[in-house]
Amino acid sequence: MTSHVLSGLRIVELSEVWAGPMAGSLLGDLGADVIKVESYPRNSQTRALVEGGAGMAPGDGPPYERSGIHHLPNRNKRNITLNLRHPDGAEPFRRLVRGADVLYEGYSAGTVERMGWGWDVLREINPRLVMISMPGWGKAGPYQGYVTLGSGLDASAGHTAIRGYPGDPPEETRSIYHSDATGALTLLFAALTGLRQRDATGEGCFIDLSQIEALAWQMPGSFAEWTLLGRRPQKLGNVDPQIVPHDAYRAAGDDSWVFVAAENDRQWSGLASALGHPEWSAAGHPWASVTGRLRARADVDAAISAFTRDRLATDAADAIAGAGAIAAPIVDPPGQYASVQLQARDWFKYVTSKYAGTRIMPGFLWSIAPDEPTWDRPSGLVGEHNDEVFGELGYSAAEREALEAAGVIGQSYALPG
Amino acid sequence: MTQPLAGVRVIEIGGGVAVGAATKTFSDFGADVIKIEAPGGGLLRRLAPFVEDRPHIDRGAYHLALDTGKRSMVVDLETPSGLEVLSQVARGARVAFVETAPAQARPLQAVLAAAGVSVVTITPHGLDGPYADRVENDTSTFAWTTRMHLHAIAGRPPLRYGPYIPAMQVGGTAAAAGAAAVWSLEHEGERRDIEVSAVEALSGNVDTYFVVWSFSGAEQPRTGGQSKVTYPVGNYRCADGHVMFAAGGERFFARLCEGIGHPELVKDPRFATPDQKALHWNDYMTYLEPWLMARTRQQAFEELQQFGVMVAPTVEVPDFANDPQSVARGSLVQLEQPGVGTITIAGPPFRLDDAWQARPAPALGEHTVEVLDAAGYSRDEQAALFRACVTG
Repeated sequence: MTSHVLSGLRIVELSEVWAGPMAGSLLGDLGADVIKVESYPRNSQTRALVEGGAGMAPGDGPPYERSGIHHLPNRNKRNITLNLRHPDGAEPFRRLVRGADVLYEGYSAGTVERMGWGWDVLREINPRLVMISMPGWGKAGPYQGYVTLGSGLDASAGHTAIRGYPGDPPEETRSIYHSDATGALTLLFAALTGLRQRDATGEGCFIDLSQIEALAWQMPGSFAEWTLLGRRPQKLGNVDPQIVPHDAYRAAGDDSWVFVAAENDRQWSGLASALGHPEWSAAGHPWASVTGRLRARADVDAAISAFTRDRLATDAADAIAGAGAIAAPIVDPPGQYASVQLQARDWFKYVTSKYAGTRIMPGFLWSIAPDEPTWDRPSGLVGEHNDEVFGELGYSAAEREALEAAGVIGQSYALPG
Repeated sequence: MTQPLAGVRVIEIGGGVAVGAATKTFSDFGADVIKIEAPGGGLLRRLAPFVEDRPHIDRGAYHLALDTGKRSMVVDLETPSGLEVLSQVARGARVAFVETAPAQARPLQAVLAAAGVSVVTITPHGLDGPYADRVENDTSTFAWTTRMHLHAIAGRPPLRYGPYIPAMQVGGTAAAAGAAAVWSLEHEGERRDIEVSAVEALSGNVDTYFVVWSFSGAEQPRTGGQSKVTYPVGNYRCADGHVMFAAGGERFFARLCEGIGHPELVKDPRFATPDQKALHWNDYMTYLEPWLMARTRQQAFEELQQFGVMVAPTVEVPDFANDPQSVARGSLVQLEQPGVGTITIAGPPFRLDDAWQARPAPALGEHTVEVLDAAGYSRDEQAALFRACVTG
């Protein structure tokens, strides 16, 4: 059984894609009873309806049960479907809310209110509920109804503009979804803060979590360039203006790279030894000092490239890190899977689910003693726990069948064609 | 009002960015965070930029933004005397965050455990394993996560994210786990040792594509920003800059066609199936480009959002401050910082009534005496510790 840090808490999740679902899995890892209320009859965006998308496990089962990016943030919860737009979906939802400690939703601002399930309604049903809304730009404000993925928030917070090679056009900058990762983490903290307040006051509370605000505070240096000094932060590639060396260097092999840095004289001494030139760190050598290296960035970079380009990235990194400097191969998934560190820590998990088969999954974000997290449930199949959860809510088998017949709940999505 | 985390004492040790980020949210929601600093202060205080571009231990941007409301005491924890101080100061604390090398973390963990405090250690690779003692920095840690590899164009060097973005995420991970530990300690009386390996924290979360490989055997391609297969995704030029699209999927593409006044394109054979669409990016641009070039990024954003299109303006950091939503919500806040004046920092990561409050960051060692007084150290004892360079 997984960690019991949060055992006894019941969480209701109404969200899809990455940020909200990942938060649910993290709460589940910690032992909370997380019930994912999946959209129905429309499928979640991460559940593909057709073959051919990136990251689908081969198999004969429904394509929407075999998507890797859906499995990643949906472990350790129970999955139910519920059509909240159907009149007969209201009573089951009320019962669910009544027994919840926390309910969170990730739809665009105004959506749940239009469906009749805003905070003013839910607090009447359960006065001790902690409700969290986590739209991209937050609940309050003029951007009502606006939709986004993490890439849009990254762009609008100013992060996209500082990622990239100096001078490259913005068209070349890759979309990333970093705010999903931080949004998930922020939701955990928000939920626990809200629960502590509930216990102090005896009353539930509402939390407005703007995913872009949850990202914005994570760029204090870039913000201060502007707010303290009036400068617009620029794209720097991998360069740090105060550290030489600090860059990605080409290694032997196809499109293979190693990152190397020396932040101080001690690390530089190790690096110089690893490169076979201990004299480069001897007092009096122009590269022996922090400032000397700053003035000779291109030459130092060339010296490191000469060392790394004939070596495998892992070999170069082992040699440099072994000498006390900073170095890491810039790994792709197979390279990461080969990491002797992650293997020694048994970090990867081998998870079997009905249609996706047995897959290697990235492990947990933390380890906990004495109660380690465990992967008790793979990503739930559509409506897999309908019987169990609706049964707990007092619905008999006959009533559950009636709900299914009415299209309020279900255990499959319609495939096109 | 009483802040929600009032009465929670938190210990911060190590002086790094991740640990500073981890305890900031506790502090801003009302916890009593005691930042125990090495003589000379830690990395977070030494990072540029600085007020007036003049390096100063109390005037770095990371320190001013992330140490809000904390109490700072200077203690040399590499001495037995320092560990004894820690054992006294930690009494009654709920959780401690420790960001040091594993060899330094273990004795601290033992002292904190004896004081009944849950401990969250933050290390690059975890406390054990063949790489445990490797020295890493923000970018080398990121290199191990697969995210840097993918953040690039094939044949060109992989790219980091913004400065210290990975460290901030590691701090957020530690904070979430630490908050759960506080909950459990307060409700079940059970303390825990939680280990956050930065590589694992950054690799186990989303914004990663390891599962694409492990599910299908294929890797995500290292392409540039604009997909010409599933489009529009990425940055596209408009009159005064760029907008970021995530409108490649069928549903959002249809809304986009409608939004730019060409609903007929949804059924156009050139764009009707994924296979055909992939062949006709240039054709689609003859419709999308002129529409975008006739609008500013904010206009394109607001108009297309009315149609439910996933699009956002791609702005520079200063523009975020002036964004209508940021202004309406007060996403940036001003703070009176002694010795500096009024500074502007990012506001709350989430809003629970008015429970979030950023207070000034402490000078190095500003609260050493205050904390030692409260821990019961006599004048002579404090002078002895100071003279022996244990405190400062």
